[in-house]
Amino acid sequence: MLTLQVILSGILLGGLYACMAIGFSIIWGVTNLINLAHGSMIIIGAYITWMLWTRFGIDPFLLVPVAGAALFAFGYVLYRVLLHRVAVKSLFMTLILTFGLDRVLVNINLQLFSADVRAITLPYASEALELGGIRLPYIRIAVFCVALLLTYLLHLFMNHTRIGDSIRATAQNVRAAKVLGIDTARVYAIAFGIGAAMAGAAGALIAMLYSFTPVTGDSLTMKAFVIVVLGGLGSMHGAIVAGILLGVAENIVSGLIAPGYRDAVSFFLLLLILLVRPRGLFGNRYLADAKI
Amino acid sequence: MGPILLVLGALLLLAGPALLNPYWLRVLASVFMYAVLAQGINIMAGYTGYPAFGNVVFFGLSGYVTGILMVKAGAPFAVAMLAGVALCPLLVLAIGPPLLRLKGHYFAIATLGLNEAVKEVVSNAASLTGGGMGLSLPLPPWGPVEGGAIFYYLFLGAMLISTWGTWEFGRRRIGVACGAIRDNEEKAGAVGLHTTRYKTTAWMISATMTGVVGSINAYRLTYIDPPSVFDLAISVKSFVIFLLGGAGTVLGPIAGAFFVEMLATYTWSKLLNWHLGAMGALIILVVMLAPNGFRDALRRMPSLATLRMRILRRGDFAGKAGQ
Repeated sequence: MLTLQVILSGILLGGLYACMAIGFSIIWGVTNLINLAHGSMIIIGAYITWMLWTRFGIDPFLLVPVAGAALFAFGYVLYRVLLHRVAVKSLFMTLILTFGLDRVLVNINLQLFSADVRAITLPYASEALELGGIRLPYIRIAVFCVALLLTYLLHLFMNHTRIGDSIRATAQNVRAAKVLGIDTARVYAIAFGIGAAMAGAAGALIAMLYSFTPVTGDSLTMKAFVIVVLGGLGSMHGAIVAGILLGVAENIVSGLIAPGYRDAVSFFLLLLILLVRPRGLFGNRYLADAKI
Repeated sequence: MGPILLVLGALLLLAGPALLNPYWLRVLASVFMYAVLAQGINIMAGYTGYPAFGNVVFFGLSGYVTGILMVKAGAPFAVAMLAGVALCPLLVLAIGPPLLRLKGHYFAIATLGLNEAVKEVVSNAASLTGGGMGLSLPLPPWGPVEGGAIFYYLFLGAMLISTWGTWEFGRRRIGVACGAIRDNEEKAGAVGLHTTRYKTTAWMISATMTGVVGSINAYRLTYIDPPSVFDLAISVKSFVIFLLGGAGTVLGPIAGAFFVEMLATYTWSKLLNWHLGAMGALIILVVMLAPNGFRDALRRMPSLATLRMRILRRGDFAGKAGQ
C-alpha cells in the first residue's frame, strides 16, 4: 500500500517535472542553448506568484498565466539583448554565458527576496482524496492536471499555428527557413520566450506545493536536463513519460530506500541514459553530432 | 627575448614571499591554483575538444581523499595527497571510455552529472566524510607566515609543472593526436588513431592536474564541505580563464588566471552582497567582449595608426580592423 502511495505521488510530481522540462527542451531544440539559468527562471516564476499571492491574496492557480506571461517577456528581451550573440554558435559560450546569467539571477533574487525559505499555504491544501488507505491531496491532482493542460496547449500551439510552424521549420533547417522568408532571429527569440514562459508557469505550480529559496533552481535545471535527455530532445510525449519516470524514481528512492539520495537519483539516471541510450526513449536520432 | 622574460618572471615569482604581505601571497596562491585548473581544462577542451565542464569533481574528490586519509588514518600530507591525486586518473580510467563516446553538449552535461553524483555520495556517506557537516583536516605544523610561503610555493610548483606538462603534451604525439581528434574525430579514427585511448589519456592528465591542486587546497583551507569543493563555479571560472587566455595556448591560462583572480579579488572586496552577481556579470562580459581570448580581442582593436589612416581617408571606418 505504501508502495502504491509512493508511486502515485511520484506520477503526480512527474507531471510537474514534465511541464518544467518542456520549456528547457524547446529552448535547447530550437536555439541550441543549454539554458543553465532555467532553474532560476522557474524560481522567478515562483517568486512572482508568491509575491502577488501575499500582497493581493490572488489564488495562485489564477497566477499561473501571469507568471508565464511575465517570463515570456523576460525571455524574449533577454534573448534579443544578450543570448542571440552566442546561441547557435559555440557550445562553451552558451554554457558559460547561461551559467553567468544564472549567478546574476540568483543574486538578484537573493537581494530582492532574501535567502529565507518561502512557501504558499493555501486554505484548501490539506484536503485530500482518500482511496482505501491512499491519500492524494486535491491540490497535487490539480497541479498535475494544470501541468498536463499547459503541455497539451503548447503542443497545439507548436503544431497548429503559423508561429509554431515557423519555429519548427527554423529548428529543422535555419537556412531553408530564411529562404522561405521566416524572420529567424525573431523566431529564436519567441522560442526562447515560450521556453521561459513554460518555466514561469511551472514555477507558479511549484510554489503551491514546495517551499523554495533563490538557490532551489540549481537542482531544477539538472532535473529538466535529465528529463529532456531521457525523453528525447524535442519530444513532448517523451518529456511527459520521462518526467513521470523521474518523479516515480525519486519518490521510490527517497520514500523506500534512502531519503538523502533524492537529488542524486536524477544524476545517476542521467549518467545511465547517456551511456546506454544517449538519444533518449523517444528521440529519433542522436542529436549530439548534429548540434554541437 | 622570450626565454629571458620567462626566466625573469620565474625569478620574480620565486621571490614572492620575500616581497609580498600574507594577503597578497594568498591571492597569488589562488591565481596559481586557477592557472592549474585552467591548464586542466586547456588539455581537455583546448587541445582535445571535449568540454569537461564538471572537471571540478577531481578537485573535490582529491581534496576529500586527502582529508579522509589524514583524519581517519593519520597519514602524512604527502602520502594522503599522493593517494588523492592517484585516484583521479583511476576514476577517469573507469568512466572515461564510456563517457568520452558522448560529444559536445552531452559530454559537457555528463561530466556535470558526474560531479553532482559524486557530490551527493560524499554528502551522504557521513560516517566517512562528515557529510554536510564537512571535514576538518589536521592543522599544518607550520606557523601562519611560514605556512603562507609553503602553500605559495606548492601552488607555484603545481602551476609551473602543469604548464610545462601542457607544453610537452602539445608537442608530443599525443598532443598532435588529440588535435586531430578535436578537428575531426572520424577522420582521426579512420587514419588509424586509437581515439579512445588518446582521449582517455588526455582526460587522465587533466584530472591529475585538477586533483593536485584540489588536494593542496583542502590542506590549505583545513576545512572542506561538499558545496565548496564540488562547486561548479570553480569549473566555470577555470573555463572563463581558459577562454580569456585563448584556447590551446600554453601560457594563456596563466595570463587569464592573473586577470580573472585579481579582478575577482578586487570586486569581491568591494561588493560583498553582490559577489555572485559580479562574477556572473564578469563571465557575461568575457563572453561578449573577448570570446576568443585576450590576444584576439587586442588584435581586433585597430591601432592608433590605422585609425588615423582611416580618418585621413575620410570615413572609411567599415574597412577591416587591424593588420
